[in-house]
Amino acid sequence: MKFIENIGEVLIKLFSSLGKFILFIIFFFKYLFRPKFYFKNNLSYFFNIFIESIPIIALTGIFSGMVLALQSYTGFSRFSAESAIPNIVVLTLTRELGPVLTGLMISARVGSSIAAEIATMRVTEQIDALKTLNTNYYNYLVTPRVLSLTLALPIFVTLVDFIGVLGGYIVSVHRLGFNDNLYLLNTIDFLSLGDYLSGIFKAVVFGFIISSVSCYCGLFSDKGAFGVGSATTNAVVISSILILSSNYFITELFF
Amino acid sequence: MKIEIKNLKKKFNENYVLKGITLTIEKNKSTIILGQSGCGKSVLIKTIYKLFDIESGSILYDGKSEVDIDKFSMLFQYGALFDSLKISENIAFTDFINNKTNFKKKVYSLMNDVGLDKSIFDLYPSEISGGMKKRAAFARALYKNPKVIFLDEPTTGLDPINSDKINELILRVITKRKITAVSITHDIKSAIKTGDNYYFIDKGVIQDKGDCKKILKTKNKIFKSFISGAKY
Repeated sequence: MKFIENIGEVLIKLFSSLGKFILFIIFFFKYLFRPKFYFKNNLSYFFNIFIESIPIIALTGIFSGMVLALQSYTGFSRFSAESAIPNIVVLTLTRELGPVLTGLMISARVGSSIAAEIATMRVTEQIDALKTLNTNYYNYLVTPRVLSLTLALPIFVTLVDFIGVLGGYIVSVHRLGFNDNLYLLNTIDFLSLGDYLSGIFKAVVFGFIISSVSCYCGLFSDKGAFGVGSATTNAVVISSILILSSNYFITELFF
Repeated sequence: MKIEIKNLKKKFNENYVLKGITLTIEKNKSTIILGQSGCGKSVLIKTIYKLFDIESGSILYDGKSEVDIDKFSMLFQYGALFDSLKISENIAFTDFINNKTNFKKKVYSLMNDVGLDKSIFDLYPSEISGGMKKRAAFARALYKNPKVIFLDEPTTGLDPINSDKINELILRVITKRKITAVSITHDIKSAIKTGDNYYFIDKGVIQDKGDCKKILKTKNKIFKSFISGAKY
């Protein structure tokens, strides 16, 4: 009996949180289209995210491309298909690894910081202070973060794609002995606009997931240091799970 | 502004924090809400401020149920200054976020009123002391020329000397600007010094009320034990 009670309790909490999150998204869109748009705030947030994330994005891209080239070579050389390596590197990066790895890295780097910042603001009554100053916290806190990250992630993914291909090129040409011109030619010829755009579509969805989940976890965090910690962990874990699961459905969509 | 509260009830997760509060905040007077930690004082002022909805009862602002909360201001317990903004930007927050740039003179004047040195104008909250944060938060609360100011434990976390200075400052400013003040405290000394009327809350209901100058002559047993620190 106790076991069923516990399951019921978990389910109620789950659906209650889901309902709150849906309401949160509805409010976000309501205030997005009926805005008091803090342009300076939006712009500065976008640049902050951008500048802070570039190093981690560059490292993700270069090492993914390099490892991908090496691993592909290990497999493909077994049936003399080494020439497919440029194609595999560029296709895997643009359609799959670029958006997913960038999403996961940004969730850890930016999502956690958004959740921790907003949860701290909640704990220290700064959110209440915003209300007393007649400032809508959706317009002031949520909109800049969600818009910035949703717009920034496609740029990050483009960078990861580019740097990843560069990493693959470096390893293939300097370590595996590929002809440099042939490698580049194969890469460019094989890549279609559709491959790139499917990755970009994923990036937009992942950017929205990370930012909205992180803002939600921060805004509805429990009080105290424990609340801030939980909000941060929940933001990263929930974002990562949603990125990986939604990735499958988007892949099906573009299959 | 006169605020009349009748039989106000507020609950969180089925637990009633306020169980029928009835009190009157007189215009241009300083009303003190006293009570133990967790008795519902902060919930009460946030409900009056319309930050929380009410379960039942009524709140009338100059006889009306609707009010423009722009006429209110609040000094939070720990200041609640925005960490990412400079002190000047915090004080002039409403103008700053609307990209108005001509707030410098008004900010300097307010900083002078609350006893803050001009040198902290461009500093961040993390770079100043607790007492300074309280003063900066008080300046922010005064920036929009409120008709009613709510002060949530204004002396919490301060040493006795700084507490006394903050009390004097509050008294001076609300008298000079003719603001209705509602303060929460569990510090009897502050209540006597800064208040006109007091209400003592215990377990979600008003247990005692009266003139702040006569607090120590109260006959209410629960309030007496609260003052003396003895167990009721």
